[in-house]
Amino acid sequence: MAFGQGMTIQFKVAFSGLGETLIMVYGGQTSLPFEGLPKGRPISLYPEDVDYLKERIPEILRIAPESYNYLQVSANGKEINRTVHGTTAEFALMRTQVPRLGGRFLNADDVAKGRKVAFIGWKVAGDLFGSGDPVGSQIIINRIPFTVIGVLQKKIQDSMYQGPDADQIYLPFYAYRQIDNRRRINQVHIQPREAAQSKLIEARVRTLLGRKNRFDPDDRYALSFWNTIEDAKEGMAIFKGIEIFLGIIGALTLLIGAVGVTNLMYALAKERTKEIGIKLAIGARRRVIVQQFFLETLFVFAKGTFWGFIVAFNIVHIIRLAPINYDSFGIEAYLLRPEFSLQIFAAYMAILGVLVFLSGIFPALRASRSNPIESLRYE
Amino acid sequence: MIELQGITKVYKTGSQILEALRGVSLKIGRGEFISIMGPSGSGKSTLMNIIGCLDTPTAGEYVLDGDRVAGLSFDQLAAVRNRKIGFVFQNFNLLPYATTWENIELPMLFDGKNAHKRKKRISELLNAVGLYDWRDHRPSELSGGQQQRIALARALANDPPILLADEPTGNLDSRSGEEIMAILTELWKAGRTIVMVTHNDRIASYSQRIIRLLDGMVQD
Repeated sequence: MAFGQGMTIQFKVAFSGLGETLIMVYGGQTSLPFEGLPKGRPISLYPEDVDYLKERIPEILRIAPESYNYLQVSANGKEINRTVHGTTAEFALMRTQVPRLGGRFLNADDVAKGRKVAFIGWKVAGDLFGSGDPVGSQIIINRIPFTVIGVLQKKIQDSMYQGPDADQIYLPFYAYRQIDNRRRINQVHIQPREAAQSKLIEARVRTLLGRKNRFDPDDRYALSFWNTIEDAKEGMAIFKGIEIFLGIIGALTLLIGAVGVTNLMYALAKERTKEIGIKLAIGARRRVIVQQFFLETLFVFAKGTFWGFIVAFNIVHIIRLAPINYDSFGIEAYLLRPEFSLQIFAAYMAILGVLVFLSGIFPALRASRSNPIESLRYE
Repeated sequence: MIELQGITKVYKTGSQILEALRGVSLKIGRGEFISIMGPSGSGKSTLMNIIGCLDTPTAGEYVLDGDRVAGLSFDQLAAVRNRKIGFVFQNFNLLPYATTWENIELPMLFDGKNAHKRKKRISELLNAVGLYDWRDHRPSELSGGQQQRIALARALANDPPILLADEPTGNLDSRSGEEIMAILTELWKAGRTIVMVTHNDRIASYSQRIIRLLDGMVQD
């Protein structure tokens, strides 16, 4: 059960490696003639579209432009080719760009003033600077020096467009324009105020940009969208399925556990037959015998709960200690982060408790009704 | 004290019917020391169990200390066993996981006596059987004689008027046996009614009167 929950959570984490509740908008080509214009016109996005959309769609929480190009980057006597991006400060929040300690992502000031600063992925940092801290060092892109202000903290990311974020370099949008002066931008990132509004936002972006660029808002190809919210729904459905499956396995385990406890209580009654006989002979009333049985059951149950908790909790947390290779993660990224759920544990124990209670009462009643003579003879 | 009138006990196992007792009538007065003797299968254990309210007769009348036992419920019988009868078994029947102190305490717990009374009585009894220093030991750490003395102390916990002993020396060496018999004799002299099952003539000679059973009937 813990694995099922953990997988679902890891899926969310991995997915949010790209970004949480994110809609990405790309330009395209019209496929329908509109207002006398032919089909097949290219539609591009421009920096001003960002403000245009933000002003007109109140459901948008954050929006950021992004341009990128594959460029030569050098530093520390090394030369590599990487995708370099230009964007704004809001990008960090949408795309889970968490800086390593001692650094930061681009801020609004960097963007407004076009500062020559860069935020780099951890693999870029490793490729250029080895294990040293690159913050404060210079990297040269297209002969322009940029100061590294932060390195991306390791994360698992299962969705991407220009490769994993570990390999990317981010510059303030207007600083980026100095090394890549194309006016159009590659994409726009939008984060809705509420995930449920994502489809609505898509429709409004089509309508608004359609009005501006004169294309049919129903034209599926004029703009393209990558709606992670919709993707996540599908992914979550799959993982929910796995969770339910593991839940069934859990229920079967529970059943086996219950059979075990019932058996134990039964065995206990047999084992204690002589003892019950002695107690009856020296004057124990039926209630006393039943009480004793219940206390024993309760004790077994409490002990089981205690150890069950300790064992389950520790197994889950020991597994969680296992490292995940962030540079090329596979199924282990999902399996090695099981989640210990107190609610599930409590529910499990409640069910087991009822079963234990029931399995305790019958042997107890039987034992208390037994003839003291027969119990005494029992060896 | 103990009055049996025409007691019959029939056991049925499948199609087999076994008549363990066939019309046993006897009277045991207050303060008597009686031995019940007889060969194996003569019904002496069954008789003992009926006297001890551990078993109920198939037919016949049993009056214990003025009360008819026949009409009593399971828990009422338990109360009779608890207050009026002290049992001493051949194999001691002590609770193995409990200390000697706790074993003696048990009948008083069932009777609902308070902690102060229990403590006082247990100390008294442990001193009387000379095992006070063994109060925190478990039965397995004691010799057979010591275990039987603890069992005797337990039987006396609620100060019952009647003591039933089923082969009390059967599992003991002769010296320990003598010790137990000495205690029983003392208890009898103090006014307690004692009924003992044995097939050892020497042990039976401690008693005032011997009741012999054969094939479920009292022999005169």
